[in-house]
Amino acid sequence: MDRVTTGIVSAACHFPQQRRSARELFAEEGLGLSPDTAARLGIEEVPLCTGHQGSELAVAASLEALARANVSGADVDVVVDYTIWPQKWMVPVWNMSGEVQKAVGAEKAFTVGFSGGGATNFLVAINFAAAMLEADEKMKYALLVAGDVTIPGNRVLNPEDPVSIMGDGGSAVLLQRDAGRAVLGTELLSNGANHDAYYIPGGCLVNPEDPALYRMVLDKSRYDGAPKASAMLDQARRVLDQAGLKLEDVKYVVYPNISAEDQKAFREAFGLSPRQICTSNLKTHGHVQGNDLVLNYLSLAEGDVREGDYILMCSHGMGFLAGVSLIRI
Amino acid sequence: MFAKIGILEAAYYLPPKRKPLTEIFRDEKTPETALAANVDFQRDIGIEAVHVAGEESASSVALKACRRVIEKSGIDPKEIDLIMGFTSIPEDYIAPTWSAAGYIQKEIGAARAFATAINTGGCASYQQTLKSVCSLMTTNPKINLALLFAGDKVPALNHNYYPITVVCDGGGAVLLKKNHDRRQILSVDVITAGKLHDVWWVPGFPNRDPNNAKDHSWMHVAGDIGRFNTEVIPTNLFMFRKVIRGALQRAGKKSADVKYYIYPTFSSWDQRAFCRAFTIPPDKVFMDGLQRHGHLQETDMVIDYVDALDEGHIHEGDLVMLVTNGAGFSWGAALVQH
Repeated sequence: MDRVTTGIVSAACHFPQQRRSARELFAEEGLGLSPDTAARLGIEEVPLCTGHQGSELAVAASLEALARANVSGADVDVVVDYTIWPQKWMVPVWNMSGEVQKAVGAEKAFTVGFSGGGATNFLVAINFAAAMLEADEKMKYALLVAGDVTIPGNRVLNPEDPVSIMGDGGSAVLLQRDAGRAVLGTELLSNGANHDAYYIPGGCLVNPEDPALYRMVLDKSRYDGAPKASAMLDQARRVLDQAGLKLEDVKYVVYPNISAEDQKAFREAFGLSPRQICTSNLKTHGHVQGNDLVLNYLSLAEGDVREGDYILMCSHGMGFLAGVSLIRI
Repeated sequence: MFAKIGILEAAYYLPPKRKPLTEIFRDEKTPETALAANVDFQRDIGIEAVHVAGEESASSVALKACRRVIEKSGIDPKEIDLIMGFTSIPEDYIAPTWSAAGYIQKEIGAARAFATAINTGGCASYQQTLKSVCSLMTTNPKINLALLFAGDKVPALNHNYYPITVVCDGGGAVLLKKNHDRRQILSVDVITAGKLHDVWWVPGFPNRDPNNAKDHSWMHVAGDIGRFNTEVIPTNLFMFRKVIRGALQRAGKKSADVKYYIYPTFSSWDQRAFCRAFTIPPDKVFMDGLQRHGHLQETDMVIDYVDALDEGHIHEGDLVMLVTNGAGFSWGAALVQH
């Protein structure tokens, strides 16, 4: 019997109207933006919210994704959250997926959310959602959602030696059992030794009192030392091998918008030509966690991608979690 | 639906220090909003004392449970393919940015695994986790051994979850193995009522009183007790019926086939209401945990299952249902064939 596959039937992003330039954000955080840093980052501006509107961003993206697929919220079987930044109230007692479920009218659904892994959390969501749809013939649609809003004053990641500038945004992807652009496989590998290389040290059971600790921090030496490109390359070869494919068979690659420097290192490790990877959103959005992958997937979908093309979605998220999904258009 | 996936082993850890309920009610304020049930919350709840983690962290109680389950099973942690956290209350560091899954991976040396965590479902997160993990084990030939864990530590002055229960600190861990003939997970059914998402929550650090750093109430659960009484309670048994039927139908079983139930240890009146509504004799539900330790969030499903097994309530050939509800609000039921 042929294996049932799950496919992407639609996707959408929703970003706040308000934008702020990299130079302004650096100034707000008491930093100077040198030409060298600006070139390394490759980010000119990011979208941002006033106040916490993560749920609203996720709901808007969800409604758009459902509308693009002409699917009613009432038909959704599971809502899967891949947000990384703290939400309106504390996760996991509360999770925005319930609010999204209510807003889109997904009354028969259940909700699931995943924590950790930075941008790779999107691939974790795809992996589990596809598995649930494939394992359960009673399920048809999974709505994957995120709404990431950065902590105010915490947009420059690792101010001492900036790694990225983080924007706000939401995204949603609708998966369908046995239809759409097939998710042929996902490979994930984590290294728990880096569980605290990219995290928020305060605002929870450990360090509950010091506001200075309520911000995303990055251990740059461990970040630099993590085998990001090689781990993704290993995962890519594994997922391609299972499908009887090679890296040369991949037409395009979707990758996060961390920085120009990071994208270049990734492109070189994978031996990709500049036209095989979407880099244009980096300049205008900065890094918006897992939403990057949806934004860049949409840009790709609007390009010259053709039915039957193979694409990879690759990500390294701190945790440390490297992941790759193989999609057939 | 699922491949042959069985519970290889399960274990828990409770911190040694106990705090009597008299002291909990002395130290923590009980809201004055009336209960829907005609009971006296403090007198009738049925819990004697709860365990408190004190200086132990949420991650460390989870780690101790993981080490126990690894020791009980005799596996090598390097065999583990997937580590999945299912803690349903705030951990050492803030979620969803962080989960304890990576810490556990590092500490036990599960080098080939990937680690992540479910952050939904409240006390029904165990069933959501079973659904997610069993689906992945079914569809992915490379995922053969999964470690599920939770570690719960509430803030020192937030054990009183009026009007529902009084909570205990502790951790639980479960190993799932593919092609394991015993304790096979036949089916899982879960549902969420997102319209009730804002009945039970924890405000979080941005909602603290910035002028009073010592006030940690932003880490305490907050509930809309009025809506709990008028919207959750009337829905509760209907949703339980739905997931119980769903799990039975998926497995091709009838309710009469179920020999034993694992149900959360919220309160004596809640346990009675469950048995009455589904005409289940009380001796078919593991209830002893209530008096011993009160409610351990999602870990009720692990600790009560382990104790029911160890104390001879579950026998070879029995069909066991693990059923619960949780914040969100979610309901879940899982059928395990012994």
